[in-house]
Amino acid sequence: MTTNNVVYTKKPQEARTNRHGLRVTVRVLFLTIFAWIITPNSPAQQNSVRFIDVNGETIAETPIQSQGEQIYLSVDAVRQVFDPVMTDQYNHPRKRLILKTKDQQIRLQMGHPTVGIDPSGLTHTLPTPPIIIAQQPMLPVAFFTQILPDFYNLEALYNPSLQRVQLRPKDTWAPAVIGNSPNWAIIIDPGHGGENDRGCESSTGLLEKDIVLALAKRLQRMSEEQGIKVYLTRQTDTKKTHFERIQVAKRNQGQLFLSLHCNASFSPHEKGIKIYLNNPKGQLRFPSNAQAALTGQRLKPLAQANFLKQSQDFAHALQTELNFLTEAPVELTELPLIALSEAYMPAVVLELGYLSNVEDLEKLSESEYIAGIAQAIVRAFQRHISAINPPVQSTELEQEQ
Amino acid sequence: MVIWGTTLVLIAFGLGVTLYLIERSKQPGVPTAPPPLPIAANPSDIPPPPQEVNLFLLDTTAPTLVPVKTELRLHAELTKRLSQIITALIQETPPNFRNTIPRGTVLNQAYIDSQQTAYLDFSNHLIDGHIGGTTAELLTITAILKTVFDAFPEEIKQVQILIDGEEVRTLAGHLNLSQPLHLPQ
Ligand SMILES: [Zn+2]
Repeated sequence: MTTNNVVYTKKPQEARTNRHGLRVTVRVLFLTIFAWIITPNSPAQQNSVRFIDVNGETIAETPIQSQGEQIYLSVDAVRQVFDPVMTDQYNHPRKRLILKTKDQQIRLQMGHPTVGIDPSGLTHTLPTPPIIIAQQPMLPVAFFTQILPDFYNLEALYNPSLQRVQLRPKDTWAPAVIGNSPNWAIIIDPGHGGENDRGCESSTGLLEKDIVLALAKRLQRMSEEQGIKVYLTRQTDTKKTHFERIQVAKRNQGQLFLSLHCNASFSPHEKGIKIYLNNPKGQLRFPSNAQAALTGQRLKPLAQANFLKQSQDFAHALQTELNFLTEAPVELTELPLIALSEAYMPAVVLELGYLSNVEDLEKLSESEYIAGIAQAIVRAFQRHISAINPPVQSTELEQEQ
Repeated sequence: MVIWGTTLVLIAFGLGVTLYLIERSKQPGVPTAPPPLPIAANPSDIPPPPQEVNLFLLDTTAPTLVPVKTELRLHAELTKRLSQIITALIQETPPNFRNTIPRGTVLNQAYIDSQQTAYLDFSNHLIDGHIGGTTAELLTITAILKTVFDAFPEEIKQVQILIDGEEVRTLAGHLNLSQPLHLPQ
């Protein structure tokens, strides 16, 4: 009987403990979900802007303040990024900010988009005016990308989705037609083509062969505007053998071969831009006692190996330029590649993204993203050409004359 | 009389069963519970015990090629063993893994030459059924190579891919398959 009593008195307690435990669990669960929701986890919610140099190295990472869609940086950011000796004067009642460099003054009025420069008397108009946040003058990001670079003879590239600004020396590019430099001819090879070789395909029906042809044509137009001659290995949706593509390169005395492709993987998670170089001793390799002797190709792999260093140089230029557009650094892999196996010139395969990945597919469907890639590729061409044929300085030209 | 009759029936039945068992034991390759054989029997008739083999499949969450263990009754002869393993690689797809060889691909033949080069002759489906892309092409080839070199570290030094008996330049237009391949150590 006593045992029964004990059992009976215990039961309500257990029930209470269980109810209490349940309440605690629910609360913890709710708090966890709440914490997860409020934790910033997308790159768009970053609270800093990264300034990088022409080689992608970080100059400074500066904190930002957001007001609606706009991003603002403090006056200190000017010192961190551009000019450590710049001084500033802020007049609180009049809401006027003056920035002083060694020989110029920049005048800003909070709430007004006009920027005045002394002693030149020039004015610029910002798309967004500077404002006051927590009683401090704050400068819109456009001030850092459109006004300041000019002062320091720099050019700025702004990637708003990654909040990244690249600062590069202004006007370093001169088409390589000066003096003894040869005219540059670049061969762009849109991969695949024709009905039987569509390359890879997205679930939405986007075809590799179409994406790369459109980009190749765009690159041809943009490069030629910069004085770089471009030949395409195919102009239309037609089948071309690797041999025919290489013939285009040889016939036009190409000095650089860029083969454009879109990637695919068996995993939907794999994403990103990838660069591939032809190296028979790469991640997959031909045996060192290669059967070249048997096929009578002994000399060809040797001749091609001579271009590996230059191909790597161009790949690095391409990588540096494309890194500006991507969250994770662009990967570079060396493999025995058929598309480049007989290109006796520096040659690279560029995979623009994965048609098997939802994020990449979305990007590759946006014309703005494709335009960014095209600009990065043209800048890589310029970087590569400038490295091989450094632009002749005007003083040297004058001396020659 | 009845006792004699019953005894005869039992003897006949016992003889029948014994004869049946002897006959059954002579049939090779009985898949389940192979009966023990006398040591004097021909060695090729002994069904081999199951052995663990690594098949390289894509862990889609990683995403990398990982060894997935499977048990195969491997043949004693080298080329037959190679065929068995590659055929298993083509067919194997446990949950959470992706096979990097297009579904429907058949291994026509496998052989190994005096240079320790393995020739793997696949059906045309390896090309026709491929999804394309350098990464996918590299995964397909690497899965085959890793599986081969893992199972035959001493016996095979390089692998040449053939399609319907012919050498091919590429699978999906990117990798150069015109020569035998191996992996960096
Ligand atoms: Zn391709």
